Amino acid sequence: MSTTTATVQTAAAASESTRAIVIAALLGLGLVFMTGFAPAMALHNAAHDFRHTQNFPCH
Amino acid sequence: MIIRLVSAALVAGFLAAVVATGLQFALTSPLILKAEVFEAQAGKQASLSSPFAHLIVPAHGDAHGHGEGGAAEAWQPAPGLERMAYTGLATLVGGVGYALLLGAVMLALKRVPSPETGLAFGLAGFLTVALAPAMGLPPELPGMASAELGVRQAWWVMTVAATGLGLYLIAVRRVPLTIAGGLVLIVAPHLAGAPLVVDSDSKLPAALAAQFAARSLGISLVFWAVIGLAYGWAWNLFADKAVSGGRSHA
Repeated sequence: MSTTTATVQTAAAASESTRAIVIAALLGLGLVFMTGFAPAMALHNAAHDFRHTQNFPCH
Repeated sequence: MIIRLVSAALVAGFLAAVVATGLQFALTSPLILKAEVFEAQAGKQASLSSPFAHLIVPAHGDAHGHGEGGAAEAWQPAPGLERMAYTGLATLVGGVGYALLLGAVMLALKRVPSPETGLAFGLAGFLTVALAPAMGLPPELPGMASAELGVRQAWWVMTVAATGLGLYLIAVRRVPLTIAGGLVLIVAPHLAGAPLVVDSDSKLPAALAAQFAARSLGISLVFWAVIGLAYGWAWNLFADKAVSGGRSHA
């Protein structure tokens, strides 16, 4: 019984961290894309100096 | 767990952005402004006589309205405070983005965040995202000749992916076969060659460009170190608020 509970809890924790990893990775990639790569001119110009300093290919 | 990860990433991204923005204002923004003077001059003299004219994006004119492109009216922040504010904002958003990725990687590799492990992952982030691509495409000032943007971005993304995977194979898997494979992955994009344009009729002094490249990498190093340190610190700061601290890294 207790073994089953522990297994279920471990599985739940594992799926919780998988979900956290996926959400954080997608959110992080989205933010980095927005500041470093987004082609929209307004975004480019706003982040211009950051892009140059952080060595994102710019222009 | 996601709440704890995002909270720690917000704190780390904010602290790193404060430090990096200060360094940018002191060290790189003045060089960018100087370079834009040369860029504006070059924009006036832009000629299409170069055989590489279609490859070289002349003096990033479109973006700043010096060019003849139709995008000249695009919005851009006003010089001075407004521009500085947007630079700070971009650094904040980028810092939080990097911190989220760092947190996701640490969780995926089941490493318990502390300032020490955070710093180690931050340094790996610096090697992957800043140093490796910079070996092929050094940090560039406005107005320097360069290959088409899409080609450089593709090489950048490929290099970052290969270096990250290579570091993982070397540092985490750590058996002879994966170490050899990791080294191949890290070296491959550089053997393939970065789309670097060396020829330029820009009047920009080389010393200015060299100083910018060195300062830019220095700032990236500090940026990543603070992201890693602060993420490890903030992760433990939010320990009590986590659903249950005991299974934080089950």
